[in-house]
Amino acid sequence: MANDKSSMQLIARGILSENPIFKLALSMCPAVGISTTVINGLMLGVAVLFVQVFSSVTISLFKNKIHPRIRIPTYTLTIATWVTVIDLALAAYLPDAYAKMGIFVKLIVAFAIITMRLEMFACKESPNDSFWDGLGMGLGFLVGMVVIGFVRELLGSGAVLGYDLLGFKPLLFFILPSAGFFVVGLMMAFFNWIELAYKRAKGKI
Amino acid sequence: MKDILTIILRLTVTCILAAMVMGSAFIITNKAKKHNEHVNEQKVRYALLGYSAAKSIPDSMALHEMYRYIVTDKEGQSIGYLLPGKEGFYFLTLDMGGKVIDNQPVKIDEAAVLEKDLRDKAVQEIAGTGRSVTFADQTIVVTNNGERVAYLLDGKFTGFKTFIGVMLAVDPKFTILGLEILEHEEDPGLGAEIERNYFRNQFKGKTFEQLKDLDVVKEPLPDEYFQALEGNIEAADAAKILAKYGDRDIYALTGATISSRYVNTGVKGIVKKFAYRLNILDTALAERKIEVAF
Amino acid sequence: MMTHRLFTYWTAVVLFILAPACLHAADFVSEQRFGADNEIILTYPAAVDKTIAQKPARYTVFEETDPDIRLEIQKITVADDGRKVSLIFSESLNTAKTHVVSVRGDDGREIESIQVKKSYLGYLLSVLISALLVNNFVFTKYLGLCVFFGTSKRKTTAKGMGVVFTIVMVISALMSWFFYQFILIPYNLNFLQIVVFIGLVSLTVQAVDTILRKVNPILFNSFGVYLVLVIANCVIIAVPLIMASNNYSFIETFMLALGAGGGFLLALYLMSSVRERLDLANIPPTFKGLPIAFIVAGQFAMAFLGFSGLQLF
Repeated sequence: MANDKSSMQLIARGILSENPIFKLALSMCPAVGISTTVINGLMLGVAVLFVQVFSSVTISLFKNKIHPRIRIPTYTLTIATWVTVIDLALAAYLPDAYAKMGIFVKLIVAFAIITMRLEMFACKESPNDSFWDGLGMGLGFLVGMVVIGFVRELLGSGAVLGYDLLGFKPLLFFILPSAGFFVVGLMMAFFNWIELAYKRAKGKI
Repeated sequence: MKDILTIILRLTVTCILAAMVMGSAFIITNKAKKHNEHVNEQKVRYALLGYSAAKSIPDSMALHEMYRYIVTDKEGQSIGYLLPGKEGFYFLTLDMGGKVIDNQPVKIDEAAVLEKDLRDKAVQEIAGTGRSVTFADQTIVVTNNGERVAYLLDGKFTGFKTFIGVMLAVDPKFTILGLEILEHEEDPGLGAEIERNYFRNQFKGKTFEQLKDLDVVKEPLPDEYFQALEGNIEAADAAKILAKYGDRDIYALTGATISSRYVNTGVKGIVKKFAYRLNILDTALAERKIEVAF
Repeated sequence: MMTHRLFTYWTAVVLFILAPACLHAADFVSEQRFGADNEIILTYPAAVDKTIAQKPARYTVFEETDPDIRLEIQKITVADDGRKVSLIFSESLNTAKTHVVSVRGDDGREIESIQVKKSYLGYLLSVLISALLVNNFVFTKYLGLCVFFGTSKRKTTAKGMGVVFTIVMVISALMSWFFYQFILIPYNLNFLQIVVFIGLVSLTVQAVDTILRKVNPILFNSFGVYLVLVIANCVIIAVPLIMASNNYSFIETFMLALGAGGGFLLALYLMSSVRERLDLANIPPTFKGLPIAFIVAGQFAMAFLGFSGLQLF
């Protein structure tokens, strides 16, 4: 039953087993470039969530009217529209946060994850399911960004969300963008390790 | 054939829908954006003068906007100032030697003058055909009870990476009252530290004479100076420490000597040019006995 | 005989008319450039009168954007051959800005107005090198990573992706420039940037796809696969956005696009060389695949940090 693929399951899938950043390895540009603080990660995560959910729902609503040969352009157009909307909204209502994110909000349009989600899910499923799936994927991205941001901010400036926790700066290196690669790589390895341990415990591979 | 037509039709419909959504989003957010920009600008200006949400600006204080333009025609160039008079605005043109060419009233109201497009258009109208007018910069003259107390200057100069945009506050003797970094693209943790109090506040209190020879030294910042600049010490003690170090050059940021140097040269350039121009303007105003709001 | 005399006659007339001009040509500067930190060097085609050339009142120098601020000349020296005049200023010049030198004659009237600026070609090359190395899109700006990690496993894949990407990048960037200059700006439609740019990219990809299929099917078989991936590449839309925010000219956009594509190709090539070797190395199972690739990329990013501040021109 479509309803049994419940909203909770869809969300869980988005955050854990099919996490865009750590498992699917998609849309990594912001994960590396922008996740210098928790706030940045949160803001961009929210923006992506917005675009993902709205695009999924829009495409799902019109799925029967989209001509198969112009699928991709239609998806691209929809995504571009919603990205423009969130871009304008952020620039107008949250200018400080927007200035920190720079070009990355506009780049959401090129994220493979959103297009792929539309192609694989939204054009086949109902608007309701698409909504939860989009939410799941978006939340997965958000969680990933926040976690990376947390690690980098803590180790880089000793503070989290602006609150000084450690009282000193452990390694300035972590705020530098190049550290993003290291942190994401290490976290991916960590996720792999957890998965391997889980599989070993469950099924003895 | 029918297929292609359907495709084109569907695509066009989608485009139109998309355009409608984006267009309405734009219209709705544009107003909010302009409002936010305005509020932000006010906040930065008041902060430079030492006021904030906690300590609000007194009623006797007024901010007057002054805009400088470069007027080019066949014979050469001249400088035009859009000034607020006692009632209404004037466009004063000076030649390169500082002599007044003419002074004409401009039909523009207080709200419109804040909008760049309307302002430029009004000035171009006054200049007339055959002359082109380019906006140069904007200065804010701050008066308290009619007396000039400060000038707020905008500036943009090269930084280590691309540009650094700043706003400076100077007093009538061109001593620096404050420095705010408005925009930059420096590295976080390194060049971006120019935003921090312990760097910016080193410029506070530097007199015009000190500014002329101000240099950047690659020495570590003494800890008590750091604490005083950051505002972590009681006002009375802080004042003593600041006086002790006030004569020294600017201490460069660790790992960002070049950014520090660019900010130093940038600030020096802005103040020197402004001092030069203000002198010429005041002489011209006095000579022609022109009344301005400041 | 007659034609010969007519020819000589007319040549004499022309020379006679031009002679004063030829003599005056010696008054005009043939070359101008910045010398040391506080120096502007003017080169004349013939030796100049030292006493006249060394009068400070003859020259008015200012930065183009600040015509009312006259720069103070401290000293004027003339080289031994009399052709190079050096204007030395009391303060160092901001060579990034265009300076104007206005030369006046004894009668006070302007003889000529010269613009002194750093070579434009140098500036263009610096845009190219900046996009290629200093601001490498993968290692310094962290864009285009998904595609980057996906196609950097083998050198052949890397080269294919890099070349295709550069071609699409240059074409779509130039098309975006046209759209931006002639449609978006005049009609105040800046908020449509995202849609228009990504639309142009899709169009370019589609066009290259069709053309390649028809013109060179062999080439298409080896490179065609990468075309689809180009749209998913953040860099392809980042370049038009940068062009728009800096308002680059046509040739500058070309340099930027070329540098971006070249930088991507370079990054891919470097990465694939390393990853081919990594395949043969002893990597712990949790790190195999993407995690170790990320860490290597991080090291490359640190290395590329060394390019920051590079200024060749």
